[in-house]
Amino acid sequence: MLIEFSNIYKSFGPVEVLHGVSMSVKGGQIMALLGENGAGKSTLMNILGGLLRVDSGEIFLDGSPVVMRSPNESIAHGIAFIHQELSPANDLRVYENMFLGREERKRFGFLDRAKMRQKARELLADLEIEIDEETYMRDLDASHKQIVEITRALLCEARTIIMDEPTTSLAEHEIELLFKLVRKLVAQGVGIIFISHKLNEVKDLCTDYVVLRNGYVVASGKMDEVTTEQLSEHIVGHELAQMSRTAVMHHEDEILRVEHLSRERQFSDVSFSVKSGEILGITGLLGDGRSELFRSIFGDTPDYEGQVYLDGQPFHAKSTSQAIRVGIVLVPSNRKENAIIPDLSVLYNGTLATLRRYCRLGLLRRAPQESEFLVHAADFRLKYGKLDDLVTTLSGGNQQKVVLSRWLNTNPRILILDNPTQGVDIGAKQEIYEIIRKVASTGVAVVVLSGEGQEIIRLCERTLVMYHGRIVGELRGDEMTEQAIMKYATGLGA
Amino acid sequence: MDMGKNKVIKWFSAQWAGNPLFSTTLALCAIIILQTCALGFDYASFGEWWSKFCNNWIIVLRNNATTGIVSLGMAFVIISAGIDLAVGSTFVASGALFLLLLDSSGAGLLSAAGLSGWPAFAIAVVLVVLFGSLLGGVNGVLVADGGIPPFIVTLGTMKIYRSVTQHFMQGRSPSFPSSDFGSFSTVTIGGYMVMPIVYWLLIAAMLYVISKKTVFGTHVVAVGSNEKAAKLTGISVKAVKRMVYVMTGALVAFASVIQICRIGSMDYSNAGSGYEMDAIASVIVGGTRMSGGRGTVIGTMLGVLIIGVMNNLLNLYGVPPFLREAFKGVIVIIAVLLQKKEATS
Repeated sequence: MLIEFSNIYKSFGPVEVLHGVSMSVKGGQIMALLGENGAGKSTLMNILGGLLRVDSGEIFLDGSPVVMRSPNESIAHGIAFIHQELSPANDLRVYENMFLGREERKRFGFLDRAKMRQKARELLADLEIEIDEETYMRDLDASHKQIVEITRALLCEARTIIMDEPTTSLAEHEIELLFKLVRKLVAQGVGIIFISHKLNEVKDLCTDYVVLRNGYVVASGKMDEVTTEQLSEHIVGHELAQMSRTAVMHHEDEILRVEHLSRERQFSDVSFSVKSGEILGITGLLGDGRSELFRSIFGDTPDYEGQVYLDGQPFHAKSTSQAIRVGIVLVPSNRKENAIIPDLSVLYNGTLATLRRYCRLGLLRRAPQESEFLVHAADFRLKYGKLDDLVTTLSGGNQQKVVLSRWLNTNPRILILDNPTQGVDIGAKQEIYEIIRKVASTGVAVVVLSGEGQEIIRLCERTLVMYHGRIVGELRGDEMTEQAIMKYATGLGA
Repeated sequence: MDMGKNKVIKWFSAQWAGNPLFSTTLALCAIIILQTCALGFDYASFGEWWSKFCNNWIIVLRNNATTGIVSLGMAFVIISAGIDLAVGSTFVASGALFLLLLDSSGAGLLSAAGLSGWPAFAIAVVLVVLFGSLLGGVNGVLVADGGIPPFIVTLGTMKIYRSVTQHFMQGRSPSFPSSDFGSFSTVTIGGYMVMPIVYWLLIAAMLYVISKKTVFGTHVVAVGSNEKAAKLTGISVKAVKRMVYVMTGALVAFASVIQICRIGSMDYSNAGSGYEMDAIASVIVGGTRMSGGRGTVIGTMLGVLIIGVMNNLLNLYGVPPFLREAFKGVIVIIAVLLQKKEATS
């Protein structure tokens, strides 16, 4: 089977995320789909999976055009999408999960368990997978859950399987197991689209590659004709590769010190400190616990063990407003969900944390509110229509600037930024880095939480790498490379 | 000519799409025109028609003043992404307390305390409003701190407040000294009995300022629009939620005072029943989003007027009383359909 994307365009509101993407995958290929977060990979795959519709362009299956209107249609066309976050029915058995939604039936609609068990056993044996079909799903480890998900895809005769970052939550030996299965499937003529950020792994497994950047295909070809360094440059882009790094400086005054912080199942025994004027990075892979750690310090989930010191004094924020009062501020990740108030204007979103300051006799005064906001707007080169327009009329990068100005108004001493450039384009990214550097130069301690290696390397002076809730490595200045970060982030550093 | 026409169409469609109050205002205008016709507009006897028209409007406004005040409270609750089904029961419970305080049959609590005249009345009003706030506060605490969905909380307190009131008032029949205090609602200005309307407008003006010019007003929108973001911004989401229910309780209690002063008595099993639905209907027709985050005081006023004038119109056209509720239902559904169109365009 051959899948061809031809000149695919897709916009979300005013933002076009795919600008005429063309690529193809055929049976027997393992196609690596590469690109940074926000490059358009997920959008493209969601179109193939029937979750999104194209604005223009076509998808061809074996030469004939098809339209995928729902995930079910996509499955009917032999396409299976294995999502990054698996959601198996943990209280059902392996074979029940394999047949979930497509159960074999006897007369009068009763389940034909014998037949399902039989088929499941055959398929597992065929693929040389050692899983008992009677096991409960909850008793399997992550890789085996993934494998069951793949067998599910095969049961509905998938000819093309999309795997979205399948290895992020897997240990080394589990990855081996998964790759063995993938190679076996490909030998049987199945086509695989493999999304991953781990270039070494991709180089090892895949036969072909396509690199997306900002919604364009910027490179494609045979995997054995390219080096990981070249891939990395394609992914990041020339501009970013040229982007300057923050100068590493010496900082004196320690503002925040954290000792042996733990919270059940999220992070454990975390100790570090950050100084005035420093930009500290915290990085790791999915499930490293960095966001949870700082949510706790910020007082959003204040039931942790261990001790936080602010200016050498023990401090425990019981609520977010208490943290804000002493100058600890967290700009959360996932702007749309955690930061933007869609029904408020640009002005109000940008001044929401400090409204009390503009009041006299309990009434808001427009003039001081406006003038404080306009300082940031000019500083950040914010592009907006009117101050009273809804904030949702702005582009992602400009929304992020509005959110930043909301927080900078509070005159923070410690600014925690969780994924500060999520979903913003490269130009805005650079501007936001500049803003962050400027803030740090005024003596604010900045903590950047990010999963993007390049962001950490460009922006931070020092980086702590987390793995499964623990800090497993610390890198300074030139020690910060994607390879070094990845080594710690995958738990291989020790 | 053609250019002018184009401009009008453009302006019209821009308003239609961009201004959430536009279709509400249009609807109100349409209903008023129908009303004008119903009153037999005749150019020759304009003066006579005008006085009929004014009279009719005063009646409409006065009849809707109490539900109007309740609806304003409800609007704040709904903008905060909550709902208050207990307004009718809070209305009756506060009214009962008001009557007990001022009972003219000799057993009034305040006269027992040696208070009489307007000072006693003022104290009674304050106590009743505080009582209403307390009942609202119970809702607010259960919603904000108990984490129970507002629909469930207020469904529960709706039953509790009314049933306890009915039980407590069994065998008690305080009577209201209308001759002393009725004038609070019934005093006439220029021959018209307009006090309920005046109170309604004053409260609306106050709430308008609160919604537009105070931190609290902004925080209500923030909580209703994106609660998670509001919390992470350091807004005390719980305090905001508690406050909207307290405020609604206070407004409902005051509405109850106005009503009793006007009609001089209260029927504990029926008074205020259906207020929750009438208020929700007015708020929704006024362009407030049911899931919170969007809504205005002015829109709510228009919503109350549309439903009120509609009722009046059905009356004028002689539509059978049992069918009137059906019209109300139709209007609510049309209003939400219109909003859906506005949201997608």
